[in-house]
Amino acid sequence: MNWVLDILALISLVFGLFFMMVGALGLVRLPDVYHRIHAASKATTLGLLGLLLAAVLHVGTFGVATKALLTLVFAFVATPIGSHMLAKAAHRDRAEQWPGTLADDLAEDQA
Amino acid sequence: MSRPRPTIPTLLTLVTLTLTVLAGLPAYAAKPAADNMPSHHDDRTALGQFIVDVAAPIGVALILLAICLCIYRMIRGPHLADRVLAGDTIAILVVGIVAVFSMMLETALFFDAALVVAIIGFASTVAFSQYIGAKRKTDDPASPEPDPSPETPA
Repeated sequence: MNWVLDILALISLVFGLFFMMVGALGLVRLPDVYHRIHAASKATTLGLLGLLLAAVLHVGTFGVATKALLTLVFAFVATPIGSHMLAKAAHRDRAEQWPGTLADDLAEDQA
Repeated sequence: MSRPRPTIPTLLTLVTLTLTVLAGLPAYAAKPAADNMPSHHDDRTALGQFIVDVAAPIGVALILLAICLCIYRMIRGPHLADRVLAGDTIAILVVGIVAVFSMMLETALFFDAALVVAIIGFASTVAFSQYIGAKRKTDDPASPEPDPSPETPA
């Protein structure tokens, strides 16, 4: 039984670290603000799911499980709201867009 | 837009890895002192021991590297939203590093700090977005203004 939990914890840890690194690399490499918001907010939230799951599976006490669940629910609610507000504010401030951008529906709606 | 110079992230990465190794060595040397830690798993399997000894320190090093990449974007970001986004990502990464630390030490003590960091990161992101969204109106009123949306207070 312990073996199964440890294997699952290791898989969750690798999953979470992979998505955290993907988010950070996207934050550095992508060409404009909107691409970077896309990479950083979604990938790091998924990575956080993996890391918290790994902590719960490895430690396995009730306190860790409750606090991790609370943090997870808060992160899954707050991160999309924050990144949406940030993207909207950047668009309102007319942040520079990548030259290859195909469509800007919000600007067309406001025109 | 110019491409990011490769030297600065490389430098930051090297500095982080060096600092991580230097900070980890005393912890390994002082292994008997770790017996005072609250431990719930005295009957650890070999794989659990591997997670505590090898996988979790590597995870901490990787997340520190990710934080360094975020700091690079925060220094270099051309727009203010880039810097705010880097700060938000750092908050999420700190929550992740707390999760990995509690795997290493097998305690629930630090999750309260993680929750507080998550809440402060969200609040600061929202406050900075309000600031960015309202900035143009006060800066140059001569520029043509996009339609003010009703849910954004002036």
